[in-house]
Amino acid sequence: MQQSFFEWLQNTPIGVAVGETWFPWVESTHVLFTAVVAGTILTVDARLLGMGLRKLRVTYIAQRILPLTWIAFAGAALTGTLMFMANATSYIHNKPFLAKMVLLLLLGLNMLYFHLLTYRSVEQWDNGRPAAPARAAGFISTVLWLAVIACGRWIGFV
Amino acid sequence: MGLSYTDTETGNHYMDMHRFGDWLAATGPSQAIQSSTWAIPTIQSVHILALALVFTTALLLSLRFAGLGLTAEPLGELATRSARRIWLLLVVLAATGALLITAEPGRTITNPVFYAKMSMLAVVIVLTLWLTHSARRVERPTAAQLVVAAVALLLWIGIIFAGRFIAYVESY
Repeated sequence: MQQSFFEWLQNTPIGVAVGETWFPWVESTHVLFTAVVAGTILTVDARLLGMGLRKLRVTYIAQRILPLTWIAFAGAALTGTLMFMANATSYIHNKPFLAKMVLLLLLGLNMLYFHLLTYRSVEQWDNGRPAAPARAAGFISTVLWLAVIACGRWIGFV
Repeated sequence: MGLSYTDTETGNHYMDMHRFGDWLAATGPSQAIQSSTWAIPTIQSVHILALALVFTTALLLSLRFAGLGLTAEPLGELATRSARRIWLLLVVLAATGALLITAEPGRTITNPVFYAKMSMLAVVIVLTLWLTHSARRVERPTAAQLVVAAVALLLWIGIIFAGRFIAYVESY
């Protein structure tokens, strides 16, 4: 049953069109959006870790940079879905792909914990060195994003 | 085996990229990377990470000329910081790129898309040099800087697309 859903997905007009014609374009666009997602988040993480943009407040950086992250994430998710549709039946058995999805889930949890709990006390560390939980969130995010990039590249090698 | 050949009609000497590629692919370093199952994807992952950082730096620099992004940071400071980061990341990109060419010369040095990518890179370097130098002399971005910033950003997007299309376009 499960297999037939992915077969159906792959045989939809969109799945077929991406697979036969548009894959390189969709993939390049995915690289472009992913670069912005990872690049902007690593920039914010660097500030949380006290490794960059130290003169600017954490809330200011978040307010100015994270909207770009979300726009790019929407683009990356859309293009990623299109690529998945083109080869759904093989991606569901592709270990780097599955690992990447798990890593993205963990990144979402890390982000939720940071924004809902850690960020509440941001006024206390907005200007200076971020509190330990904020530094931990930045570190976890950095490590996981590096792993996401590596998994993304490895999908094409297995 | 020579790496160049002479055109019998004109007498001109040419570097034969196919011969050069065959020679490079047979060298020790190339063989070492080729025989590893993880070397190429690892080098590519570092290349993509550096690309993500360089593109984001270029994006935030270009946005600043449009009065967007990190406007609380003075233009000159942002330009100096961005330039330093871009040059450092380009060194990483050139080093990983050189390793990837060494590993698979046939994929790149006879590929027209690779030369399109290098041409766009050359232009983007000149534009970035001008942008970051001229930004130190003004407090507010000029119209010329905004236009050049937009062109540079489009070239970076072209470079990303060309990088991926190297894998899809046939070498000659």
